[in-house]
Amino acid sequence: MASSEEVQVSCRDVWKVFGPNAAKAIESGDVNLPRAELMAKTGCTVASREITFDVRRGEVFVVMGLSGSGKSTLVRCITRLIEPTSGAIDLCGHDVLGAQPKELRELRRTKVAMVFQHFGLFPHRKVIDNVAYGLEVQGIDKEKRYERARELLAVVGLAPVEGSYPDQLSGGMQQRVGLARALAVDPEVLIFDEAFSALDPLIRREMQDEVLRLQERLQKTVIFVTHDLDEALKLGDRIAIMKDGRFVQVGTPADIVGAPADDYVREFVRDVPRGKVLTAAFATQPHGGETPEEVVRHDQRLGELLPVVFGAKGPIGVVDGSGELVGILDRRMVIHVLAGREEPSVPEELPA
Amino acid sequence: MSTPTATTLHLPSAVRVSRWAPPLLVAVPLCIVAVAVEGFHSGFPANWYLGVPRWFDSLSNWVTNNDSTNFFLHHIVTGFGNLLNSATNDVVNLLHWMTWVGVLGAATVFAWIVGTWRTALFSALVISSFGVLQIPNGGPNGISQMWPSAMTTLALMTVAIILSTIVGIPLGIASAIWPRVSRALRPVLDLMQILPAFAYLVPIVVLFSIGNPAGIIATFIYAVPPLVRFTELGIRSVKKDVIEAAESFGSTRGQILRNVQLPLAAQAIMLGLNQVIMMALSIVVIASLIGAGGLGDPVLNALQTQQIGEGAVAGLLIVLMAMWLDRSSAAFGQRATRDRTASLRNLTRRQHVGLWGAVLVAILVARYGLSLGDWPAGWGFSFVDQMTTALNWVTNEFTGVAGPISTFLTLHVLNPLQRWFGDVPWFLVAAFVGTVGWVRGGWRRGVLLAGCVVLLGLMQAPAGYTFQGTTSYNFVAWNDAMETLSLVVVSLVLDLAIGIPLGIAAYRWRTVDRILRPILDFLQTLPAFVYLIPVVTLFGVGNVAGVSASFIYALPAAVRATTLGLRAVQHDVLEAGQSFGSTRWQLLFKVELPIARPYLMLAVNQTILLVMAEVVVAGLVGAGGLGLDVVTGFSRSEVGLGAAAGLAMVLMGIVLDRLSQSNPDRGRVATS
Repeated sequence: MASSEEVQVSCRDVWKVFGPNAAKAIESGDVNLPRAELMAKTGCTVASREITFDVRRGEVFVVMGLSGSGKSTLVRCITRLIEPTSGAIDLCGHDVLGAQPKELRELRRTKVAMVFQHFGLFPHRKVIDNVAYGLEVQGIDKEKRYERARELLAVVGLAPVEGSYPDQLSGGMQQRVGLARALAVDPEVLIFDEAFSALDPLIRREMQDEVLRLQERLQKTVIFVTHDLDEALKLGDRIAIMKDGRFVQVGTPADIVGAPADDYVREFVRDVPRGKVLTAAFATQPHGGETPEEVVRHDQRLGELLPVVFGAKGPIGVVDGSGELVGILDRRMVIHVLAGREEPSVPEELPA
Repeated sequence: MSTPTATTLHLPSAVRVSRWAPPLLVAVPLCIVAVAVEGFHSGFPANWYLGVPRWFDSLSNWVTNNDSTNFFLHHIVTGFGNLLNSATNDVVNLLHWMTWVGVLGAATVFAWIVGTWRTALFSALVISSFGVLQIPNGGPNGISQMWPSAMTTLALMTVAIILSTIVGIPLGIASAIWPRVSRALRPVLDLMQILPAFAYLVPIVVLFSIGNPAGIIATFIYAVPPLVRFTELGIRSVKKDVIEAAESFGSTRGQILRNVQLPLAAQAIMLGLNQVIMMALSIVVIASLIGAGGLGDPVLNALQTQQIGEGAVAGLLIVLMAMWLDRSSAAFGQRATRDRTASLRNLTRRQHVGLWGAVLVAILVARYGLSLGDWPAGWGFSFVDQMTTALNWVTNEFTGVAGPISTFLTLHVLNPLQRWFGDVPWFLVAAFVGTVGWVRGGWRRGVLLAGCVVLLGLMQAPAGYTFQGTTSYNFVAWNDAMETLSLVVVSLVLDLAIGIPLGIAAYRWRTVDRILRPILDFLQTLPAFVYLIPVVTLFGVGNVAGVSASFIYALPAAVRATTLGLRAVQHDVLEAGQSFGSTRWQLLFKVELPIARPYLMLAVNQTILLVMAEVVVAGLVGAGGLGLDVVTGFSRSEVGLGAAAGLAMVLMGIVLDRLSQSNPDRGRVATS
């Protein structure tokens, strides 16, 4: 989870409208029209609407949505690969939208790096020159950048193929090159744009594990775009569900699964194995002074707790991070929550 | 029944009527007016003219008189001409200084580095053939050896190719970066490609006068468009995600161009350069017409004096030179673009230096140690007799076949067609062209094309036109254009009737494809005029020779475009067709050919342009029409007439091109 409260990426009221006179369409409020009507009246389409969020240092923030929901456009707005129409973006303390071309390039070179869906590797360069590209455009000399590139290739397990060309590698290996290339510049923020969507399921899982492993070591700030809910739940500290350019819900995996904000999200998370996502907090009732027979932590997964729940005879206490008793686990509610029959409610005082 | 059914039933006919109605509503009344005013005359009225020949004659006169005083003429045009001239001379001198040993060595080593040992051997053989194959003394130019002519041609090619590269690649880059440049250049490049080279010879001569610079400029205009196009295309087709990745790492615009776009476009650019070389070689003879020396000269002489044997030797050498440069540059292109499968010599820098150092040493030894020079005259033999014998054999063997064909084509096809075209009143032609143009590309195109037709008629000189005392021959642009048109139509019909079935056969049967491929490859490397040599042997000079040469010249394009279109049909569509139990022929006629239609239209368009280009070149061998006007204009130094005929060719080329090109919005070639 987030190791510090320092905000590294912050978006405020970011809009992206494609089409002529996009800014005017926002000012006049036309953008609130239904899609077809907006198109007919102004020729514009909205890709992102009033997006606001913060990502803290070391956090993995997942943006999830179906294709066409605007998630790829949104992350491109963060580094202005796509120019946002309005709003404010702060990247590691720099005002992105106010940046001059030179300053923007500097931000792209040192603060943030991207991993792309179709890898975006340079087909005419050897693997090592791909990995070293970010350092090369910074003007770092060849020996140094090769040293750094070799280091990263070793990290992703590709040291033996440094002299190959990308098209000689498998998809999974190519994306490892993409990952190494992004890490080589030692960015503070990493952006994954559907990075694993083009890979086979097994390779995809392998890459996800790789990211988790690296993340444990490097503690980068990560923005991860995906359309795969399992991937989002597996990687995300927090998840934003996006639909028609808007964030429908932002919350922890447990929040999203346990307390969907609307029917759209509910439909999305219907088939998720709830025991693996939902925590004890979702089945906790205020305690009435009973002495618990057993104690569990509030953030333990309900699935893992089942033996305890049905093994203990007496009441089961729930404690928070500091070990203080905050409530009693309700057995009936555990079953309801796991079956998804009842909207669980998280007690006010508990972070989910 | 319900209304929707009724509307759908009526819709198709309604649409068809509405497409032809507006242009006809304009064209028919205009024709009636024309008949009322003018009566129903055939052809174009003789007393309608703009006096274009006089403009050009006066311009030429003015240029001659002000050559040394006018700033633009003196400093820019003449200066540039002199620059090209001295560059050519420098290269010629360099080639002679290198001695035959050096030329042979450099060409062979280069070919070996970029290609295989076969490429190297082929290069060595070609260079040797420049020396070995000779013409006997007492030939039309007293030439005994072809070596000096070959070196001159090589030098001209080098300068023209360097000029094309210096101008073409930056223009291509600029139009890839700035859409505005691209938009501005496109019609210019289009025009340069539609124009038969003959059309701009005269204006070039007016500015640069007869000589090597004029030849280089003509070559440049003819050869540069594909380089610009390929460069732009190559840069533009670099995948967007790769560029985005480069951008995301904070690359500057220049870094993206240098590190990503140009390297990835290298293959396309090399392909463009290869095209430039081939096209440049293909107009060597035409360039000779305006005073560029070299191998083109003997060919031109031979064609004009009917001494075919000597021209054939020079022609053969040009073909060999084309094949040599084609193979070497293609191999270089593959190497430059990191084709890892090709046999690629990963020479270290030191090995490169050593190899070229050895060549330099060989040159120095040959020049100063052994005092060698051009290829020794004794090392070779006159190849003319063999060539003549071979050509005579062909003539004797095939006269029985060629004679009747020639007579039939002349009496029963070309002459009636020409008469018939000539009999159609000009306004009917303009109305027809305008209507079809309107339907295919909107009213603007219709009006433009009808305008071109009228303008073409107005190019003519008034009867008894004189300039500076000399009375010119009677130049009636309309009739000559109609004659050219009849040649174009006959060649086109032959090309399509034979080329499309051949293309289908090559698609359908692997064996046919395997047999056709080397033949088509060979025909496409041949410079345009080379077709004239065997054709003249068979059919003598005249229209039939022109038609045959044009037919052969354009055939590969017709075959290739057909095969290409059929191959582009997606596999799953074919499978869908098969899954419904179509027979092979049903599949061909119901699925493959309809889907390939845009390519077939492209085939027609390309064939028309190629046929048109060759028909006018055939003016050299007496094929009539506008081509002959240009040749006559040259041989009698009648600049005005030659230029007016060239302009008429431009107009005709535009009309034929735009008529056979459907509206770009509707064309599906690009998207499929």
